[in-house]
Parts: sequence; structure tokens; C-alpha cells
Amino acid sequence: MRHAAHFARLVALLVIVVVGFLLVRAKMVPKDFGVKGHFRLSAIADEAAREPRHIGSDACAECHDDIGAAWRAGKHHVPQCENCHGPGLLHTKVVAEDSTRGYPDKILTAFPKAINPGTGIRECRWCHLKTFERPSALKYIVSVQQHVEQHGGTYTSASRCIDCHDPHTAEVKR
Amino acid sequence: MSQLPPDDVTRRAFLETVARTGGQSFLFGSLFVNTALLRLPQAGTDAKARAEAEVGKGVIYGFVVDTTKCIGCGSCVRACRAENGVPDGYNRTWVEQYTFYPDGEVFVNSPNGGEDGFADPAPTRNKPTGTEAPMRGFFVPKLCNHCIDTPCIQVCPVGASFKTDEGVVLVDHERCVGCGYCVQACPFGSRYLNPETGTADKCTWCHHRVVRGLLPACVVSCPAEARIFGNVSDPQSRISRILATNRVQVLKSFLGTRPRTRYIGLDSEVI
Ligand code: HEC
Ligand code: HEC
Ligand code: HEC
Ligand code: HEC
Repeated sequence: MRHAAHFARLVALLVIVVVGFLLVRAKMVPKDFGVKGHFRLSAIADEAAREPRHIGSDACAECHDDIGAAWRAGKHHVPQCENCHGPGLLHTKVVAEDSTRGYPDKILTAFPKAINPGTGIRECRWCHLKTFERPSALKYIVSVQQHVEQHGGTYTSASRCIDCHDPHTAEVKR
Repeated sequence: MSQLPPDDVTRRAFLETVARTGGQSFLFGSLFVNTALLRLPQAGTDAKARAEAEVGKGVIYGFVVDTTKCIGCGSCVRACRAENGVPDGYNRTWVEQYTFYPDGEVFVNSPNGGEDGFADPAPTRNKPTGTEAPMRGFFVPKLCNHCIDTPCIQVCPVGASFKTDEGVVLVDHERCVGCGYCVQACPFGSRYLNPETGTADKCTWCHHRVVRGLLPACVVSCPAEARIFGNVSDPQSRISRILATNRVQVLKSFLGTRPRTRYIGLDSEVI
């Protein structure tokens, strides 16, 4: 048994390596890893925990009831509030915190992008501008310059659709 | 003459044996090749059985993009960016504009992913030379295909990419080490490395909204009903009826990833 000592050392080393591996593995691999497949099961809950930032037109209408009602009854209820104004989550949070103290100023300084006040031309062009690929059968696609001039306006780069149209009902302002 | 010794084989017997064993192994081998081929998705039974087994379990989400309705307003791109905090220069969903010219040339364009719309009325804008008017054109919105046979999940070395029971492909941002293999593996370019978190990121079909009974942000914001999301295992759902009454296609079907995002009205030029 000349080599017994060597052998013992080798076995001891092996045991240390194996135990070390198992310890590190137990620490690194989460408990719920592999429950349903090669992934961490609670990652699904993590993903689901994110808060939706678009709250929906019905939620907007709870506070902006006049605009909400007009929008719903009007001819422009296909685009949602948040299509033009952006997501409302932050907006409602700021409002809920303090709705008495000069809200618009506060939100514009603290969260300049919390809600888009609406330019009345940029948003309209996204959906209404006549371009080559847009199905010409759609009645709401208009050639901007032609349209404005046809209705007695002068078309400049500053022309806004909301000079003539209410953005929420699409009605022509008289 | 006594019997022949076993190793004394006539030429004829030898050739016969060679032909027989050769033929057998050829048949046997081709059997293997055949079964291997059968496992590729386009070939029938196996894939179909698996799909049916998955559908039986409950809710399976599906997504339909109707390219014939898309007007390229970019509402979906903006809504997605806002909903998911996608950093500028990256996209979970984007819109491509295809323009065809009479000389057979096709131009594909996606300025800023279509975020600012395609509101440029000059129809010759894509043509680098000449003023030839385009023949036809359309928009194709793109997003994660949530494939059934995902290349991206397969390559992940740490198990950070996975598929839920509902068929949604997600990223575990805690486990992801940001190696970028999945970004490379995705044949549709649906993934990116988020510079803010350092982890892989992708469209989740707004999983966080869907679990609350809401629709994905891009679907809600689409004014043209070009995006339809729903439960495909319920035959009464809107998406199931649309799938039943339309001819749908998937992107890059030849890759065999079996996407769950399906398209109405794809041209063969769309890749
Ligand atoms: C909790 C109630 C509440 C909800 C919900 C709410 N708002 Fe408001 N909003 C307010 C208040 C209060 C003001 C300030 C009104 C004022 O100053 O006249 C305001 C102001 C605005 C403004 C004008 C901002 C500006 O800079 O001029 C817009 C646009 C707006 N809201 C859009 C929305 C949209 C879109 C939604 C839905 C996503 C929404 N709001 C949801 C309470 C709410
Ligand atoms: C088509 C785009 C569009 C949609 C959809 C839209 N808005 Fe507006 N909104 C605008 C524009 C443009 C303005 C700026 C009007 C102005 O400056 O006169 C505006 C202004 C507002 C204002 C502040 C000014 C005011 O008139 O009191 C509020 C509040 C508002 N919108 C709420 C809503 C709500 C709530 C909805 C959904 C029911 C909605 N908006 C949907 C474009 C839109
Ligand atoms: C998100 C896309 C979108 C945006 C942004 C948008 N619209 Fe519209 N608009 C539509 C759609 C879709 C229709 C057609 C609605 C229908 O057919 O019921 C429409 C219809 C209209 C109509 C015709 C209504 C009728 O039937 O007579 C007018 C006018 C109009 N929009 C004006 C505007 C103005 C002004 C703006 C900018 C403040 C604007 N739109 C922004 C999508 C949009
Ligand atoms: C000078 C005033 C004026 C301006 C500016 C204007 N419109 Fe109009 N628009 C009208 C009038 C008036 C009608 C009503 C036509 C009718 O009811 O027969 C109309 C109708 C429409 C319609 C319904 C379809 C149609 O052609 O009848 C759409 C869509 C529309 N406008 C979009 C827009 C958009 C988008 C803009 C901004 C680029 C815009 N309009 C700017 C006056 C204007």
C-alpha cells in the first residue's frame, strides 16, 4: 500500500470539488428553476407584475367625463385618447397626488412627457395623411394641402387641423 | 472433396453478400433519414400531434396581423415604446413599408421603425435615382413571432428565455447574462440587448396587460384593426374566427420555427 496516501488525498480533493460544486449550484440555481421547464418559474410572475401604462379611454373618461362622452358619441371614437395624448398612468398618478395645485404647470415641469397636450397637426397626420400605400378606399385619408384649400383655408406649415376640427369629435368647428 | 473451409468464399457468394448487406444498410439508413425528416415541422403528423396536444391544455394565445388593413400610422410602435419603456433606437415592434416599382425593384423602408409614421407624401421617395412612380405598396407590421419551435430559447445558456403554457416567449431579466446569443439566433430580428438593463429584451405580447384581462398596447392603439390578439384554442374567439375565414401565412415558414404570429395578405417579397 505504497500509494494509499496519494489515493486518500485524491479522494479528498474529489469530495471537496463535488461538495463545492453542489453548494455553489444550490446557491446559484433558484429553487423554482426547472419546475415547469428549463427556466425560473417565478420569472412569469415577475413579468406579470409590471404595471400597464396605458390605462384605456374609459379610465380617462372617468375624470374627463365631458370630453369622454363627446368622444364616445362623436365620429372620432376609433383613435383612443392615448393614441394622441400618450400613456396616462403617470398622469393619473400625479393628478391623484395633488389635483388642486395648478396641475398643468406641475406636470409639465415635473413630467414633461407625462401627457401630450396635443398639437393638433402632428397626431392627425399620423393617421390621415394620404400616402401612396394607404388604401385609397378609406374615406378618412385626405391629401392635406388639397383638403385645407378645398375648405377655404390657407395651407402653411403652421396650419392645424384643429383650427377647423374638434379633435375629440372630428366635427367641423363653426 | 470435403466441405469448403469457412473462409474460402467463391467470388459469386462474396458479391452476393456485399450486395445484400449493402442494400440492407442502405434501406436501414434511409429509414433513419426519413424519420429525421419527419420531425421537421412542415412534414405532417408529428408536428400536428404536438400542436394539438398543446391546444388541448387551455388558453393558447395567437396574434394575427392584417397587412391589407395597416395604414402605417405607427400608433403601435409609439404605444409599444411607451408601454414597455423601450429605449430609443430599439424596437419591440416596427412597421416596414414595401414599395414596388414597374421595373421590378422593391424598396423596403422603416424610418425609426415607423414611429413617426410614414407621413411623407412624395411617392418616389424610396427611389435613389429617377423619378419613376411606384406601382404599388403596403405596410407590414412586425413583432416577435412567439414561435413554437424557438431558436432563441434553445441557444440560451442560462435558461433565461422560456415559453409559458400560453405559448408566450418571455425573458427572465434576473437570469439573463446579456450574452446576446438569442439576439443572433432570432431569424426575425425580434430581440435586442437593452442598453439600460443589459439584458435581452423582446415583445412579450404585453404579457403584463394580458394577465390583467387587457389587450396588448399595440392592439388597443391600432385604429385600423390590423392587429388581432386572442385565445386561439377557443373556437368562438374573434381571432379563431378570423383564422378560420382567412388565408394566413407566417414569416419565413421554411425555417420551421412555427410562428404563432400569423399574417393576412403577405406578398412573397416580404421577408
Ligand atoms: C384622476 C383623474 C384623471 C384621469 C384618470 C385622467 N386625467 Fe387628464 N387631467 C386630470 C386633471 C385634474 C387635469 C388638469 C385639468 C385642468 O387643469 O383643467 C388633467 C389634464 C389633462 C390634459 C391637459 C394637459 C395639458 O398639458 O394641457 C390632457 C390632455 C389630459 N388630461 C388627458 C388625459 C388622458 C388622455 C387620460 C387617460 C389616459 C387622462 N387625462 C386621465 C385628471 C385626470
Ligand atoms: C385625435 C387625437 C385625440 C384624441 C383621440 C383625443 N384627444 Fe384630447 N386633445 C387632442 C388635441 C389635439 C388637443 C388640443 C386641443 C387644443 O389645443 O385646442 C386635445 C386636448 C385635450 C384636453 C385638454 C384641452 C381641453 O379641451 O380641455 C383634454 C383634457 C383631452 N384632450 C382629453 C382627451 C380624452 C379624455 C380623450 C379620450 C376620450 C382624448 N382627449 C382623445 C387630441 C386628441
Ligand atoms: C390613431 C389614428 C388617428 C388619429 C391620430 C387621428 N384620426 Fe381622425 N380618424 C381616424 C379614423 C380611423 C377615422 C375614421 C373613423 C370611422 O370611420 O369611424 C377618422 C376620422 C376622422 C374624421 C372624419 C369623421 C367623419 O366621419 O366625418 C375627421 C374630420 C378626423 N378624423 C379628424 C382628425 C383630426 C383633426 C385629427 C388630429 C387632431 C385626427 N383625426 C387624428 C383615425 C385617426
Ligand atoms: C379650413 C378648414 C379645415 C381644415 C384646416 C381641415 N379641415 Fe378637414 N374638413 C373641413 C370641412 C369643412 C369638412 C367637412 C366636409 C363635409 O362635412 O362635407 C372636413 C372634413 C374632413 C374629413 C372627412 C372626410 C372628407 O373629406 O369629407 C376628414 C377625414 C378631415 N376633414 C381631416 C382633416 C385633417 C386630417 C386635417 C388636418 C390636416 C383637416 N381636416 C383640416 C375643413 C377643414
